[in-house]
Amino acid sequence: MLTIKLAFRNLFRNTRRTILTVMLIALSLTALIAVDGVMRGMLTLLVENVTGTIGGDAQIHRVGYRENLDVDLFMENAAEIERTLQRDTSLKSYSPRVMSGAMISSSYNVAAGLLYGIDAERERSTSKVERAVLRGEYLAGGDTELLIGHSLAELLEVDLGDRIVLTLSETITGELAQALFRISGILDFGVRELDDNFVFINIASARKTLAMTDQQTHEFVLTFLNPEDAENPEHGIFQQFNNTEIEALSWLDLNKEISFIIEIMAYSSLMIGAILFLLASLGVINSIFMSIYERIYEFGVIKAIGTRPSEIVRLILWEALLLALISCVIGMLLGFAVGSWTAANGIGLGEIEFSGIAMDNNILGEFHISQFTTFPFFAVLLTLAAALYPARFAAKIVPSEALQRSL
Amino acid sequence: MTAVISTFEVCRYFGDDQETMVKAVDRVSIAIERGEFTAIVGPSGSGKTTLLHLLGGLDNPTSGSVELSGTNIADMSGATLSDFRRDHIGFIFQAYNLIPVFSAEENIEYIMLLQGVDASERKRRVADMLQQIGLEGLGNRRPNKLSGGQQQRVAIARAMVSRPQIILADEPTANLDSKNGIALLDLMKELNQQSKMTFVFSTHDEKIMSRASRLIHMHDGEIELDELR
Repeated sequence: MLTIKLAFRNLFRNTRRTILTVMLIALSLTALIAVDGVMRGMLTLLVENVTGTIGGDAQIHRVGYRENLDVDLFMENAAEIERTLQRDTSLKSYSPRVMSGAMISSSYNVAAGLLYGIDAERERSTSKVERAVLRGEYLAGGDTELLIGHSLAELLEVDLGDRIVLTLSETITGELAQALFRISGILDFGVRELDDNFVFINIASARKTLAMTDQQTHEFVLTFLNPEDAENPEHGIFQQFNNTEIEALSWLDLNKEISFIIEIMAYSSLMIGAILFLLASLGVINSIFMSIYERIYEFGVIKAIGTRPSEIVRLILWEALLLALISCVIGMLLGFAVGSWTAANGIGLGEIEFSGIAMDNNILGEFHISQFTTFPFFAVLLTLAAALYPARFAAKIVPSEALQRSL
Repeated sequence: MTAVISTFEVCRYFGDDQETMVKAVDRVSIAIERGEFTAIVGPSGSGKTTLLHLLGGLDNPTSGSVELSGTNIADMSGATLSDFRRDHIGFIFQAYNLIPVFSAEENIEYIMLLQGVDASERKRRVADMLQQIGLEGLGNRRPNKLSGGQQQRVAIARAMVSRPQIILADEPTANLDSKNGIALLDLMKELNQQSKMTFVFSTHDEKIMSRASRLIHMHDGEIELDELR
């Protein structure tokens, strides 16, 4: 107890230096909590945008379909798959789709694009298509309704109510088929790829145009009640729908580059933390060394009267521990304040596209328990590690030299 | 009489070059008996402090031996030497003896904490020591709230409270005026007579050395004269 009391009082011998060192550690912790909060917010936003636009948390396809979007690689048993999906209580929603490359023509221009036939009702709760309607109306089940990206509409020089002709190949036979549609809505996803290339029609019309039956589907897009289920390869969906015929892939499997970016972002807090605390550790080493040099005569005296080298090390480590604990309390309070501000106000990005994904919202900082447990734990650990070197130096002080040097 | 501490042909040289080598202590052989009140005297640079450091195990001799109650402390190092000093030797230095952030009581208590003395016994001994050195009621003052003389008294109490076999004091009155210096020596003498504890101190002050019962005169690292009074 007397050692702890001595360590605590020693801390406040040079109050200004102690405050500066405390602020160095505390602000490093604050910065780390804030950066981690923003990183987590950015990850959440990125994942929401990846899964929330049209991709969903997971998708089911015929094996090989994803490689070249071959319209002949459709699933035959849509109703059976739907029955299984309906029984799965972990799913929030699912929606069947048929897709095909198409030549999209207006009276003025022509462009190559991608046709999505969607179940308008199911799609409402599965993707962002309805929310992306900039002008006009969402699909209501009509045979000729068509939604088109705003930049594709500009290219084709068309607007609401204008006619669009889709030219595509029928499944199996490969015969050319054409169908006439009228633009019912203009879309703005904020994602160039979607706004430049995609058109959406009702799934029944798409099947009819592609000469597909009601049971034939290219894709089921799924969303989970708990989005983290998508990251669990042991989940029932992935177990049931992965065989030689069909495959169920999570958004992580479907977006390899995004998943890589997310992995890098997850490490970024670690890297930023390592840099911050490395710098702070150098400050701690410097501060403790200065404190030891100021007390070198005193160390000579207490060693002379019988304090063991290990007890000197313990004293310095107690000083470092108390310094770290005070710093962590301040750092966590400041971190909570900064984190609360970013959680409430966010960091405005404007409307940007990140790796093909629209990020048109503020990044809202997020709190996580690790910010107030793991980070302070490592701050304490690193402060103690930083104190070891000066502590060893103090333990090796030769009393006769220390007593003569300082008088 | 039994020698509490003795040296045999002890030398402490500084530097390796023969021409510039300083012989701070050169072939000194002494024996301090139990209960002695001995002064090591001599001018500055005569080797008093170095000899005290060798006697207290604060420095290792270049050659020769230093034995305390039959144990050669010249062979000890690290924690063993620290423990030996803690349990067998008390130290008083010129100044800045005390831990400035501790009160007088805590300064006295600290060494007993190192010895593992239990809390109640520590409190009892601290109170006894404060009474013996005449500082009752001042135990909770920090060193900066005590006079130089009072601080040295606390240093004496700290040196004695661990019940060592010998107390080594390196010019304990050097930073005190002559009145306080003599008063401090009188207190040390009184404690020596009461407790039969062995005191060895260095000084170059004639008034102080007159209190000693034995004077070891040093000059250029050698003993010039060893006289009993």
